[in-house]
Amino acid sequence: MALDIEAGKLLLADDEQSIRRVLGLSLEDRGYEVLTAEDGHSAYAVYREHDPDIVLADIKMPGLDGIELLKRIKRESPDTEVIMITGHGDMELAIQSLKHDACDFVTKPIKEDVLDIALGRAEEKLSMRRQLRDYTERLEEMVREQSAKLVEAEKVAAAGQVLDRLTTALNGIADDLENGESPFFQEIPCLISLHDSSLRVLRINQPFRARFGDRLGDPSWAVYGKGAVGETDCPAKRCLQSGQPEKSREFATDAQGDIVPLLVHTVPIQDTQGRMDMVMEVGVDLTRVRNLQQELFSTQWRYQQLFDEVPCYITVQDRDLRIQAMNRQFKQDFGDEPGESCYRIYKHRAEPCPECPVLKTYEDGRSHQYETVVTAKSGEQQNVLIWTAPIRDSEGEVTQVMEMSTNITEIRQLQDHLTNLGMLLSSVSHNIKNLFTALDGAMYKVSSGLAKKDEAKVEQGWHRVSHLVGRIKGMVVDILDYAKQRELERHSVSARELHERLVEQIEPRTAGYGIRLDHEPPGEDLELFADTEQMLNALHNILDNAVEACLADPAKESGSHVIRLYFRKESEDWAACVIEDNGVGMDRETRENMFTLFFSTKGNRGTGLGMFIAGQTVSRHGGRIEVESKPGWGSRMTVWLPRAGQSEGRVEAA
Amino acid sequence: MAKKILCIDDEPEVVEYLRDILQDAGYATCEAYDGKEGLEVAKREQPDLITLDLDMSKEWGTRFYRNLRRDPNLKDVPIVVVSALSGNKYAVKDAVANIDKPFTPQQILDVLKKILGE
Repeated sequence: MALDIEAGKLLLADDEQSIRRVLGLSLEDRGYEVLTAEDGHSAYAVYREHDPDIVLADIKMPGLDGIELLKRIKRESPDTEVIMITGHGDMELAIQSLKHDACDFVTKPIKEDVLDIALGRAEEKLSMRRQLRDYTERLEEMVREQSAKLVEAEKVAAAGQVLDRLTTALNGIADDLENGESPFFQEIPCLISLHDSSLRVLRINQPFRARFGDRLGDPSWAVYGKGAVGETDCPAKRCLQSGQPEKSREFATDAQGDIVPLLVHTVPIQDTQGRMDMVMEVGVDLTRVRNLQQELFSTQWRYQQLFDEVPCYITVQDRDLRIQAMNRQFKQDFGDEPGESCYRIYKHRAEPCPECPVLKTYEDGRSHQYETVVTAKSGEQQNVLIWTAPIRDSEGEVTQVMEMSTNITEIRQLQDHLTNLGMLLSSVSHNIKNLFTALDGAMYKVSSGLAKKDEAKVEQGWHRVSHLVGRIKGMVVDILDYAKQRELERHSVSARELHERLVEQIEPRTAGYGIRLDHEPPGEDLELFADTEQMLNALHNILDNAVEACLADPAKESGSHVIRLYFRKESEDWAACVIEDNGVGMDRETRENMFTLFFSTKGNRGTGLGMFIAGQTVSRHGGRIEVESKPGWGSRMTVWLPRAGQSEGRVEAA
Repeated sequence: MAKKILCIDDEPEVVEYLRDILQDAGYATCEAYDGKEGLEVAKREQPDLITLDLDMSKEWGTRFYRNLRRDPNLKDVPIVVVSALSGNKYAVKDAVANIDKPFTPQQILDVLKKILGE
């Protein structure tokens, strides 16, 4: 599968030498540079020294176990992909490892194709992360380009200052002017005019003429649209009065009658005796600068739009993790409190998160990723994928960090569901094969009995066939129900109908095993508000469990086992279905875990689905299951169910 | 004397199926429902062949196999793996045959005939 790909370093940690050897060879065949370790501590040491891309670790090892190793590695380098090797029956540990961010797990004995899939997944995650990093780096580049543009704009502003210097330089040029016109004077791309001490325009350059017309001999203030009522204020006059270079912003009227904003510099020009006899006026057309500013503003506005409209949360944070800017999406879901700290808003914590990616970015100036759960102001929990990018000043110093978070709750849920479904299928395919083998056995018994005309054998075999078909049917229904959680279709249903159908389903089984079934039909008037088929399936699963509990109880003689089934009113709103057995009973751990997915005490016989589905169905109806049980005593399950009529509205509301 | 076969599987129905097939074919049988019990029965009965399930809830078939190989009287008893795990050929290295569940009576009998003769 991954043969022609340049595979990286892989650490294989397992305490069984044979596994290390065989698996190691097969991994080398796949192109990995394989490092091995025989226990958790040495695995950790090898990991620290060689920093492998992928770690394949046994979940149970002496010293430091697999989970602890996983946690340490993930804490130090979340980018390392860890695949757990689990034994049969380690399902809970396996699930726990996924919670601690293991990439996948493979079950012993390790099958080539399963291993391929797990490694493929790890490689995919590694390459996705690489892509993500590339992307983030590109993003940094964009930020850099944008800052470059800003710097450019700054330079335009600085041009004004340059003009100051230019003015000084022009003093020199003015000296030349006294000795006739310099060609230089005509070519300068500024509006230049010379004024005499009586404030008359003495000379103008080509750009000035083009813009304002031939103003020679006009009063100095004429172009500024003043002078109508004896107003003679103008830059040249102020310069003459102060005897110093002056700078001001003015509005002039050009030949077309349009108003032109100008930045005007004036320089006094002295004659050879040091007397001031002329003023040079240099005007810069501000419209061009305005246009540039406008452009910059609209670019900024476009970025603001982008910032606000992207479908993820963006904040800019300072070194104390205080939020300095936030986009619309963030304001909408987490509130608008600039200056508040990130951890308080996101996590309701009093101090920064232990693995804060923003602080890491401040530390090393690089992008970091982090996945966590945050609480929105609505109280909703969200899984978010966070990545950070440094914002630098012109010296390259990180001054702020931008944090982008994407809500991946739905993806996570889907992933969990798929992982569970995958685990379910692998465990179920094994169970179904066993069931089919047992079914073959039962059919063999029937045909062998028929051949020998042994009636007792035929009956025994036939009984077993029907029992096994029932088990297969139940398993398939459970899987289907789990795979697609159907909507509840609730309506009023009589408890008596449920009762009758349950008895019909379970009686053949109990009779076959010599278990007595005590049951009382409930009164006609007891109506429940339920999805009939789903509730029947749930109650059937509980009854089935009671049968298994009797079968698993070797202490009592056969024939002395009893299962009781009855319904009763609990209150105006609630009824209960009670199922009791005097079978093997449950210890505390079993009691506490019995409604957990994939929990089974039946070994190969159970999928770990039946009671999980029963619990889910009942709680989706707003009800609950009370469990009383003791080893050796038996169990009593009381299923609380909403009654129809008066209760419907209230139950829906709850 | 009829050859004796030890059937180890944690599913009673499967053990019974094997017993029915083998007895109908004229073999003697003994059975066990987990690896530990399997070792005791093997020591006591000295079977000519063992059918072994791998994925058993109490103890894995491979551990039984390792313990069996340590016993000088039993280390050469041929083992036929009968399992629902695909790819089981890696688990018991020198198993004389691997049979996948579900199996037919003929598959079992063919394998036994080949190993035990007759």
